[in-house]
Amino acid sequence: MSTNPALTLALIGNPNCGKTALFNLLTGARQKVANYAGVTVERRSGEFADTGGRRYQLLDLPGTYSLHASSADEVIARDAVLGGLKGERQPDLMVVVLDATNLHLGLRLVLELKAIHRPLIVVLNQIDVARQRGIEINQVRLADLLGCQVVTTVAIARAGAAALLQALPGFSATPQTRLALAKQSVEDLYRQVDQILLQVLTNPGRYPHWQDQIDRVVMHPLLGVLLLMAVMFSMFQAVFAWAAPLMDGITATITYLGGMVAAAMPPSALRSLLVDGFFAGVGSVIVFLPQILILFAFILALEDSGYLPRAAFLLDRLMRGLGLSGRAFIPLLSSFACAVPGIMATRTIPDPRERLITIMVAPLMTCSARLPVYALMIGAFIPRQAVLGVFNLQGLTLFALYLAGIFSSVAVAFVLKRAGGRSQSYPLLLELPSYHWPRLRGVLIGLWQRMQIFLRRIGTIILALMIVLWFLSSYPAPPPLATEPAIYYSLAGMLGRAMEPVFAPIGFNWQICIALVPGMAAREVAVSALGTVYALSADGDALKAALGSIIQAQWGLPTAFAFIAWYVYAPQCLSTLVTVKRETQSWLKASGLALYLFGLAYLAALVTFRIASWITS
Amino acid sequence: MNSSLQSLDQLQRGQHGHIGALVGNASFGPMDGLVTLRLQELGFLPGAKLEVIGHGFLGRDPVAVRLGSTKFALRLAEARKVMVQVATLA
Repeated sequence: MSTNPALTLALIGNPNCGKTALFNLLTGARQKVANYAGVTVERRSGEFADTGGRRYQLLDLPGTYSLHASSADEVIARDAVLGGLKGERQPDLMVVVLDATNLHLGLRLVLELKAIHRPLIVVLNQIDVARQRGIEINQVRLADLLGCQVVTTVAIARAGAAALLQALPGFSATPQTRLALAKQSVEDLYRQVDQILLQVLTNPGRYPHWQDQIDRVVMHPLLGVLLLMAVMFSMFQAVFAWAAPLMDGITATITYLGGMVAAAMPPSALRSLLVDGFFAGVGSVIVFLPQILILFAFILALEDSGYLPRAAFLLDRLMRGLGLSGRAFIPLLSSFACAVPGIMATRTIPDPRERLITIMVAPLMTCSARLPVYALMIGAFIPRQAVLGVFNLQGLTLFALYLAGIFSSVAVAFVLKRAGGRSQSYPLLLELPSYHWPRLRGVLIGLWQRMQIFLRRIGTIILALMIVLWFLSSYPAPPPLATEPAIYYSLAGMLGRAMEPVFAPIGFNWQICIALVPGMAAREVAVSALGTVYALSADGDALKAALGSIIQAQWGLPTAFAFIAWYVYAPQCLSTLVTVKRETQSWLKASGLALYLFGLAYLAALVTFRIASWITS
Repeated sequence: MNSSLQSLDQLQRGQHGHIGALVGNASFGPMDGLVTLRLQELGFLPGAKLEVIGHGFLGRDPVAVRLGSTKFALRLAEARKVMVQVATLA
């Protein structure tokens, strides 16, 4: 048995049927489970074994309503089962996942898949919810009528896939065939579905009333929009208010450790590397982990709850004026966490022009990598004081920066829409899935992933850049009669001073110019770079103050605001640019994005610097 | 009970009925057939029971409906394609 190659299985089913949760349960792959139609746009695969030790390769296909694909992710699902997806083995067995509370929609897909004559097994998922609603399904009869095995699962329970695991050993590898899509009339298929349901559904159950009551508020044109604003606002307040004690703790720990190292070692290059490069550089970024996790916790919980498609519904009209639709809301919201998954999630948008506009404005959403930059500046220049008793001025400032990004994206989308001329209308047709409580386990898995990604970045790219930067900033050594700090005479100092004339009009000094260079890789790197640059700029051996207090003392308000304005726009993130290239299949579009964002960044910083200088003088 | 055939975009919140037919809408151009297909695939078929549960922010567009055990949001352009036998109390 062990010499046989693993059987390849593909999970296929409607969006929101709990397919991804089932995938997690089977493979233990730690990945996101969400309720929004179309979160599974990445290829996700994993391996698992049954109780007999037989191995399986499982592929999680994007959610699809039909093999008549209408968006990029549905095309992937269709091609995978038909055997036409490049570089992908046609699955030996299709595991067709149905939401047991919504058999009508799922069974049609089963019939469509049956017509391509490949082995399949039908899984009735969320059978627990179906039972709660009083839905009774005659499973034996259903298997008879469909002519295939039918099992039930509860993807969110520990042993919820036992029945599926027991059924799998009965299947064996099937030869690969390239298939064409069979033409079938939808009416015929549904007639068959109705016939089946008539014999199988012994009790249709009732749609829970509380779901409708929630929708009465959430989808109300006025109350719903107020609620949406309240949700967004509390999210951003929480990022600042809840994270503060944790961040203070981390800062204190790093300062303490850095101080210990500095005290324990004689002055040397190694001590400088550890204290100025590692503790000052890397430490200044790690502080922002709590804020990033709080932001992700909100987004993951919202995705899981079923709320987001309602927000998309409410905002559809508003976004249409920008050449977008409600569908663009979810990718754009994800972009607040990180533009990379946001840009990939645009695959669920059927209209190619809308998809391009969404990709072009997604980097304007304030992503979590900007948080360290904003938080540093806000912490240093905005007093921590209460406004109207309940709000915190720092939180309000952060909220204003998020709004700046949103309004800029509105303006850019509007221009792009105008530039594109008239386009054909595309339907919205958005499913509004049932609500459920966000599953703590799913959210925790998501947060764990984010934490790993963040720490891995710190441990690899940020650490490496900081060591290089420390080296460039420390050598060559200053001349004997130096009047400036040593870094001024170093390679990095020369580079910074060479760049200064270009950035002087927007108020950036040579230290900022140095930080901008490694900051091209990722935005938060600029913070660690500033940490290292200023640690090396400080005179004497006195224990270095936190970065915030240093820049507070050395930068004027106009420079601080110009720096913030620069970061609202600057596309200082290689991963984003690479993702845009991959998704649009065009270097031209990716470089167009970079150019227009750098242009806006310079312009915004210039205007901010001039206005702030004029006000403060 | 009495009934009349109206297109879905004309219906008010709370009105319900059965779908009578799907009709063409020229604003989708050559894609109109695909939109019809997708509506059918989602279950918008003659005889299906449907209820209007709400409208979007600013005006009546989009419209949210309950169809069987699912809910969907449609723009008025799609809704215009769905003719509904509206149930009215006599």
